[in-house]
Amino acid sequence: MKTSLTKGLRSGIVFGIVFIFLMLIGFINVGADMVGDISSASAASGAGGRLPVGDLLIVIAVFGVFCGIAARSKSEEVQWWSALLGGLTAGITAGLLMGVAIWLVGSLSLDGVDFRTYLPSLNPASIQYLTFYSYPQSAGLTYLMYMAIFSVAGAALAWLLSFRDWLAKSWNSCKTGLGGWFEKKDVSRIFSNQWLMIVVFLAAGILLYFLPLAWGSYWNYIMGTVAIYILLGLGLNIIVGYSGQLVLGYVAFFATGAYTFALLTAPTPHGIEMNLWLAVGLSILVSTLTGLLLGLPILNLRGDYLAIVTLGFGEIVRILIRSDLLTSLTNGPKGVTSVGQPNLFGSPFSDVNFMHLLMLLVLIGLFIAKRLKDSNTGRAWIAIREDQTVAQATGINTFKHKILALLLGAAFAGLAGALFASRNQFTGPEDFTLMVSVNVLCIVIVGGMGSLPGVVLGAFVLKGIPELLREMADYRLLVFGALLVVMMIVRPEGLWPARRVRFKRSHADPDRQDAVEVEV
Amino acid sequence: MKFKNILVLMIVFVLALSACAPKPAEVSDDLPAACQEDAFGCAVIPAGETIKIGMGAPMLGDYSMFGIDISQAVALALEHDDGFEGWTYELIAEDTGGAPEGGAAVANKMVTDPTVAAIAGHIFSGSTDAAMPIYEKAGLPMMSPSATNPDLTTKGSTVFNRLAFTDAAQGAAAADLLFNALGFTKIAVMHDGGTYGQGLADVVKAAFEEMGGEVVGYEAVTPGEADYVAPLSAVAAGEPEAVYFGGYAAEGIVMMNQWSQAGLDGVLFFGCDGTFGVEFTDKTGANGEGAIAASLVPPDSEEKAAFDAAYAAKFPTKAGELSAFTWSSYDTGGVLIAAIESVAFVEDGKLFIPRGALVEAVRNSDYVGLTGLIKCDAIGECNASGPAFYQVVDGEWVPLAAAEE
Amino acid sequence: MASGYPLPQQKSKLLLHKGWGSEVTSPSFHVYRSEIILMINKLKNQRLTLGLILRLLLGLAVVIYLGWRIYQTAFGEGTYGPDTWMRFLITGLVIGGMYALIAIGYTLVYGILFMINFAHGEVMMLGTFAGYFVLEAFAAIPAPTVANPDLNFLNAQPVIALVLTFLVGAGFSALMGYMLEKIAYRPLRGAPRLIPLISAIGASIFLQNAAQLLFGPQRRQYLNPDFLWRGTGWMILVGGKEVMLTYTGVFSFVLSILLMIGLFIMVKKTKLGKSMRAVAENKQAAALMGIDVDSVISKTFIISGILAGAAGVMWGLHNGLFNHFVGFLPGIKAFTAAVLGGIGNIPGAMMGGMLLGLLESIGPALLGIDFQLKDVIAFTILILVLIFRPSGLLGEALSEEKV
Repeated sequence: MKTSLTKGLRSGIVFGIVFIFLMLIGFINVGADMVGDISSASAASGAGGRLPVGDLLIVIAVFGVFCGIAARSKSEEVQWWSALLGGLTAGITAGLLMGVAIWLVGSLSLDGVDFRTYLPSLNPASIQYLTFYSYPQSAGLTYLMYMAIFSVAGAALAWLLSFRDWLAKSWNSCKTGLGGWFEKKDVSRIFSNQWLMIVVFLAAGILLYFLPLAWGSYWNYIMGTVAIYILLGLGLNIIVGYSGQLVLGYVAFFATGAYTFALLTAPTPHGIEMNLWLAVGLSILVSTLTGLLLGLPILNLRGDYLAIVTLGFGEIVRILIRSDLLTSLTNGPKGVTSVGQPNLFGSPFSDVNFMHLLMLLVLIGLFIAKRLKDSNTGRAWIAIREDQTVAQATGINTFKHKILALLLGAAFAGLAGALFASRNQFTGPEDFTLMVSVNVLCIVIVGGMGSLPGVVLGAFVLKGIPELLREMADYRLLVFGALLVVMMIVRPEGLWPARRVRFKRSHADPDRQDAVEVEV
Repeated sequence: MKFKNILVLMIVFVLALSACAPKPAEVSDDLPAACQEDAFGCAVIPAGETIKIGMGAPMLGDYSMFGIDISQAVALALEHDDGFEGWTYELIAEDTGGAPEGGAAVANKMVTDPTVAAIAGHIFSGSTDAAMPIYEKAGLPMMSPSATNPDLTTKGSTVFNRLAFTDAAQGAAAADLLFNALGFTKIAVMHDGGTYGQGLADVVKAAFEEMGGEVVGYEAVTPGEADYVAPLSAVAAGEPEAVYFGGYAAEGIVMMNQWSQAGLDGVLFFGCDGTFGVEFTDKTGANGEGAIAASLVPPDSEEKAAFDAAYAAKFPTKAGELSAFTWSSYDTGGVLIAAIESVAFVEDGKLFIPRGALVEAVRNSDYVGLTGLIKCDAIGECNASGPAFYQVVDGEWVPLAAAEE
Repeated sequence: MASGYPLPQQKSKLLLHKGWGSEVTSPSFHVYRSEIILMINKLKNQRLTLGLILRLLLGLAVVIYLGWRIYQTAFGEGTYGPDTWMRFLITGLVIGGMYALIAIGYTLVYGILFMINFAHGEVMMLGTFAGYFVLEAFAAIPAPTVANPDLNFLNAQPVIALVLTFLVGAGFSALMGYMLEKIAYRPLRGAPRLIPLISAIGASIFLQNAAQLLFGPQRRQYLNPDFLWRGTGWMILVGGKEVMLTYTGVFSFVLSILLMIGLFIMVKKTKLGKSMRAVAENKQAAALMGIDVDSVISKTFIISGILAGAAGVMWGLHNGLFNHFVGFLPGIKAFTAAVLGGIGNIPGAMMGGMLLGLLESIGPALLGIDFQLKDVIAFTILILVLIFRPSGLLGEALSEEKV
């Protein structure tokens, strides 16, 4: 019982502080808005611009349930009354913290204290909403009551569910991920039937062709960004995922590719305006050369040193682009406008055509990456990643392979850069900040290092989903940061981890040397 | 084989997203004739939605005072209007961060929305420059209250118009003031490297040298930094009598606070419309005494008084406090509304605004606003009233009286 | 110890453990001599590879270019007077001190956990905010006297106010460092290196945006007490002209040096310092010796947080304007400084920080290039140093086995 109490107390304190934090950043109001949108049963705001209080109560209730669930002591089997007691403790603690905070803030606000100079989210209207448009004391008590009741409910729910092992099973299947689902017997039977797969391919192809037409230009734009980031992710996946070199300056290659393309096809700085496809090829070449330039001197550096050096290199490229020194070449901070648009035999691409082009290039990129991974070079990379010394001892030329990984990654980035510049019709130095490198790195690692479906999934999640949550636009990055930390703790292998070749000894006779199963 | 997995995954995702994505407006073939003939098509606003006016402004970060002030004024203009045949107006102000890259990103987003009719912006010259070709291709007319770089109207754009004075005028007036009125012969010129700042700095440098003065230092600072003692010291080494700065208040504040450290005690700080505002006086305090900047305050009138009252009632700051462009922004809203209402028509319960016609209507505007008569010439300059110079006296901006002479 | 001079391979292993004070004994002359003999042997046997030739050529090119540039600036026309150089030097030292404090934080964490604490810049930023609120609070308390009825507490008791500001700022940063470790890093203790890095990046993004959402995106200004107001200071005469030594600048520099000395003493002399060195050397052995590894790691984060918080408050006092983004760039630069000096090496971090500050200030003027390019100089120097001396200027505190 004591563990229940302490756990309850701890989770109560945590939830209380979290709620106060969310209140101070105005997230509670947004949450209530979202509840209102979902339920939409609550009619438009009542008289005098008051927001519906019911939504706020729902938010608190949900919060309380989670608090109760968290208070459940997971270690051993607990009696029902012990679990409920834990929930009650959690609820009361959290409710006490929240209630006191609301009471304080509410009373001070009624006294005329304006928090907005220091805490801009606490405007008087939202404070009033948080106190249910009534007295702060009664509001505080309401918080306490609601939290206590719903925490108990939450704890009861968690206790009830702990008897069902479907919860544990589904959690385990979550852990093996989507990859696991594909390996299940009946599902993989579909995939082994060749004719069926051809039909699936064709259907997929037709779907991919018609989707950009149906989406509308806004979604084309968003999906275009996702596609470009998939290409970037593929490139960085080769460098970080396959060959294990931590490169934090990937944006340098992106920038050189984009700028080469822009400067070759835009009328303003130089007026070259060469054929677009040629320009794309040249930008890939220039990016690769940049990769060579960067890679040669620093390749023997150890992991973290490599990271900071490449980070520095990325910043150097950006600063040089925007500097006065190279303004005659790059147009400095003003950027390059009217970047060339792709056209086929004279007719320019619409955004739908551009989307088709991007999809095609993404599919080609995926194909190349897959073939690389399955080749000797890919295996060499994985060996280098696992243990460089041993790889060298088995005769792999680590230098050659590491440089190759860097060059290929740079080439992908160059292509992505050219497409990026062309799609935005503009490119400037601030498009290539350190955060872009960090985003791509997160895509690769959150998706699953070395895994191609992981990169695609990662790009969708990290670039596409924020667009869906536009109401929460202000809180997008906050959620992103928290998500990264949580993901790494809960599922560090990524959303769709790569499967490794493993050798298993046959259990029947462990001494038989030839009894090995190869799991691919 | 994993490749198929990837494909299936993509399909699943794309299906899911297309299910969640809002359905775009029905692309029907029975568009009104005016829309089919128009080179850029029409903005289609179904019943129940608002006519949107877009804006690309620095809403967050160091330059947010401009974005906040200007978007508030335009929003007020849209609010004061009664709407058109039951459709009301709405301002969509997106953040550009004050950078050209942000301007291009916002422009790319705006052109994908069929309910956006016109653009009140962009606010900074750099982001306007980046966005112009994008809007040109899509046929969205622009009316900027604050983009002052002279080159913007020389590029032959049909969609860009502005209410603000050009920096050619501002720079020439500043050089004239420095040389003739204030009698300086040695000045230094600094800028922040952006389209606006460097453009202005170059104009002042050329004009000053033409008048016979000497420019003893020309340095660029990187925006967003906390320490400018090094470039300021380098400039101080030339012993200028005044320093002209083309850039924004965020950098100007840091520079003013490090003035003495850099050895520039007693040297005049001459800023521009970007360094004007209450933020500058607030954050420099005593260090900012005597600094000069430019602003655009219209002459007093009944309408101006009414606007000032309405603005102060609704927002925590007063008109003209955060930036120099509050009044011209209000007029921007009015001009755009007038142009939209002159070409829009209703059919089948939907509002259609032919884009090409709107571009022309904005270019041919003839409107009387707070800042005077707004009539655009062939290249898009709509209001030639020049800047007025102000000086910080006792922590407040007061007009630089002709008594300076 | 054997008599005579020891076998070369034994002693050189000791020398590899530079920094952090993990030497068993300070090297003697014989040790240096044997090191030199080793180096000469190594050079004699060095194969003339392409890499070596390229590196020599690059080194030569760099030295020639730098020399030419410096010659031009020093003796060409249009050079700066000694007063301007003095100003560059002063700014460089002040900023260098702050970078050094933050760099020590990076190095401490790296030495113990081998992870790059990306969120360290944000820890500094939180210290700046904490100090800001304390100063504002003090300024709001009225303390009228007969002479000055408008006086507030901040100016009535500036010393107490300042001390409390630093305590609260450093303390809050320390608390944040502790929580950061507990929430974001401890669950990932045994994971491969990239995982805690991503977690750190996530924590950094979270803290930045939390600060932005809590306190607003606009820039705030530090309310220094009157006697320490920004832009005021002693005027000294250099080369006939007056140069200002700001009060805040001198204060920051002196405090940085004091804190660095204090830390160095703590690491060398106290029991906690010894435990930290032991845990940095080998976690398992330290645990076997009875050291509570978790507690030592927490304390390391607390100490690095204290230093970062102090640097943050100094930053606010000296530079004045700040917002939620203030920790980002100094964080990266301090990390660069730590690597420059040799990561895991405390004197290295101190030296790297000061060097970086000076390079940023004096570098562009010395080389006659734009001030915009000062970051380019910093990173280029880093790359060059790492090319020629891959473990940083003062070497790292890791033995061969750990690599």
